[in-house]
Amino acid sequence: MTIDFYWRLPTHGCHSSLRHGGYDRGDWSPLGTHNVAPGLDRQGRDDGFRYIDHLAEIARAAESAGFIGGLIPSFPNTDDPWVISPLLARATRTFRFMIAFQPGFLNPVHAARLSASLQRATGGRTVFNIITGGGGPAQLWWGDSFSHDDRYGRTTEFLDVFKGVWKGEGFTYDGRFYQVRDGGLSPLLSAEDLPEIWFSGSSDAALQSAAKHADHYLSWLEPFDQLTDKFARVKERTAALGGEQKCAVRVDLVARATEEEAWRDIKLGFENVDEARRRQSRGGPTDSVGAARQQALRPSEARRYEDLIVAPNLWGGFNLLRGGPALGIVGSYEQCAARLDELIARGADAFILAGTPHLEEAYRVGEEVLPLLGREAPALLRAAE
Amino acid sequence: MTIHAYWRIDPAAEPARAERRARQQGPRLFRDVRTAAIFRYDYYAQLAQAAAQTAFDGLFVAYRPEADDSQIIAAALARETPGLALIPEFPASVGSAVYAAKQAVSFQRATRERLGWAIAQPADAETRARDGDHVDENELIARTEEFLAVARGVHGARPFSFKGRYFEVQDGGFDAPLNRVRFPRVYLQGDSEEALSLSARAADVHLFAAAPTERLRSLIEGLDALALREGRTVAFGLVQPVLSRQFSDEAHRDAARLGLGETAMVGDHAEVAGRLAALAALGIRHLVLTAPGSLEEAYEVGQHVLPRLRALTETLPVAA
Ligand SMILES: Cc1cc2nc3c(=O)[nH]c(=O)nc-3n(C[C@H](O)[C@H](O)[C@H](O)COP(=O)(O)O)c2cc1C
Repeated sequence: MTIDFYWRLPTHGCHSSLRHGGYDRGDWSPLGTHNVAPGLDRQGRDDGFRYIDHLAEIARAAESAGFIGGLIPSFPNTDDPWVISPLLARATRTFRFMIAFQPGFLNPVHAARLSASLQRATGGRTVFNIITGGGGPAQLWWGDSFSHDDRYGRTTEFLDVFKGVWKGEGFTYDGRFYQVRDGGLSPLLSAEDLPEIWFSGSSDAALQSAAKHADHYLSWLEPFDQLTDKFARVKERTAALGGEQKCAVRVDLVARATEEEAWRDIKLGFENVDEARRRQSRGGPTDSVGAARQQALRPSEARRYEDLIVAPNLWGGFNLLRGGPALGIVGSYEQCAARLDELIARGADAFILAGTPHLEEAYRVGEEVLPLLGREAPALLRAAE
Repeated sequence: MTIHAYWRIDPAAEPARAERRARQQGPRLFRDVRTAAIFRYDYYAQLAQAAAQTAFDGLFVAYRPEADDSQIIAAALARETPGLALIPEFPASVGSAVYAAKQAVSFQRATRERLGWAIAQPADAETRARDGDHVDENELIARTEEFLAVARGVHGARPFSFKGRYFEVQDGGFDAPLNRVRFPRVYLQGDSEEALSLSARAADVHLFAAAPTERLRSLIEGLDALALREGRTVAFGLVQPVLSRQFSDEAHRDAARLGLGETAMVGDHAEVAGRLAALAALGIRHLVLTAPGSLEEAYEVGQHVLPRLRALTETLPVAA
């Protein structure tokens, strides 16, 4: 058995360390003298590098360190994964581009053509993380006024059409959201492999859609028992439809030579978060069940970073240090590997890992943590039986 | 005056070239060491290099639904051709206008603002139904106009709200740093009255199809007047098939072989350059040049025609 490990491309800039806020890679924060991509030359002028040049560095680090590819997130103030992937296609060799993507934003037939073309441009390195949006003002920002469950209905139909036209000519579909008459990709395009479909969303509507279409059901990290239940539910539901669902989890890591060094980074980072920020719940109004589950993990007030330790090596304050989910793993290389092994024993079939700074941590995790995997898993699996 | 010369990549043309699956099968006498790693996008990249090295200003990537997508090709080539403008052609039916603007912004950020948008003319009703596009025949122009208005709207203002027939957005628009790049130059096409009046309202550049000089002159005058009425200026462009050789008889011989149409410009290098310069004198500033056999012809035109054209147009009076 082998397990697919993905890394992540941060599409909203990157920090050179979790210890301090502000993005000093990319142009999301005011450019200081130590900024890169873009940086400032000795005259204080833009040095001509662009954030894409840094993303290329991360992607090459990840592929060289043993990751199969990287998740490329999509939010209102990020660069776009559909653009990043072809831009980096020729700068990488094995790196798979996992495009986070809300299906409602593209015509499904056009999306199938884009995907097949990207498969051709990359030698089959396209993967999707199908996301369905968190509702609220952010959804309207994108120009999408559909309700939560309608969005999932549309996602399901989108994937029906996307896969349907991929089989070739003569595809007809009469759905609520999409209709196609006698469509299909040309032989040149349909000869490509269909990209793997990963799928995110925690609501009932999400699980239903995933059961029909997903190769991998993807979740943020949650407390292990909770995640075990969720994966079991997802697998059951797909089995009831006669399919088999793989489950994947997206995990932030702070992995250091010793546990003490790892917590030191968390402590220093936490001390830089101001009082008000520690109290306020993250993010705007949302109809996302997954986001609510993340928010529920956090106590309303945390004075010390220790208040946010929810289990050994599990820290629930990552969203104070950077945008994204709350929970992540903190520990020595051995501890991190052991926790990942435990997740494997509890039903995780694949991973998306991330660490800050994404470039250096891709090498660190690839060199120090991935080789340790599998020592605990067999024993844990036996214990679970 | 500045002439912008673009070379057109047609992804569907020369379908066997550099196409792995089209390689000769079975026994062959020559030792074939090509691996799967040599493939079609290497050829696109080579076309782009050819255009860059022969001093074209950019690449126009045609929309061909049966072949590789123009936007994927443009992005895949962008980092290998630091100086070239990249103008993918695509229809206004691709999806959300907000999302299209978002993608354009990312492209602009990564490429130092080298993106152009060429909106393809709508396909016929049957093709549209195959593509899952159900906008009514007589609303197609309105949809394109709204697509551009919303894309430019979210790009130009924050907050931007809009509720139209095809697109809506509430409190949209980009924050820093995404709001720091220019919107791509928009190229529209079509010679119908509705297409021209849309261009008068919404195009940065209108691309005419190749036509006799007198017809082009009257189209240009017509569009100029329409744009004036809208209080706008629209630049003029042309999609022009060319076939240029050292000697005119060679050009005509090859044109007959390759089956170039009536509107193609066929002649020796000086002749073709002269005819292009005459078009420039009509006010055409954007030339999308195209030929079957894109790589070889790119060198033919880039090395021999463009320098002559530039020499001619740089001496023309600015007012022309
Ligand atoms: C691992 C993971 C990654 C996600 N990435 C994105 C993203 O890049 N952009 C986004 O808008 N939402 C992202 N989401 C959120 C989902 O799209 C979705 O908004 C959310 O799960 C709401 O659905 P739910 O109510 O079914 O949970 C992600 C969710 C997960 C679990």
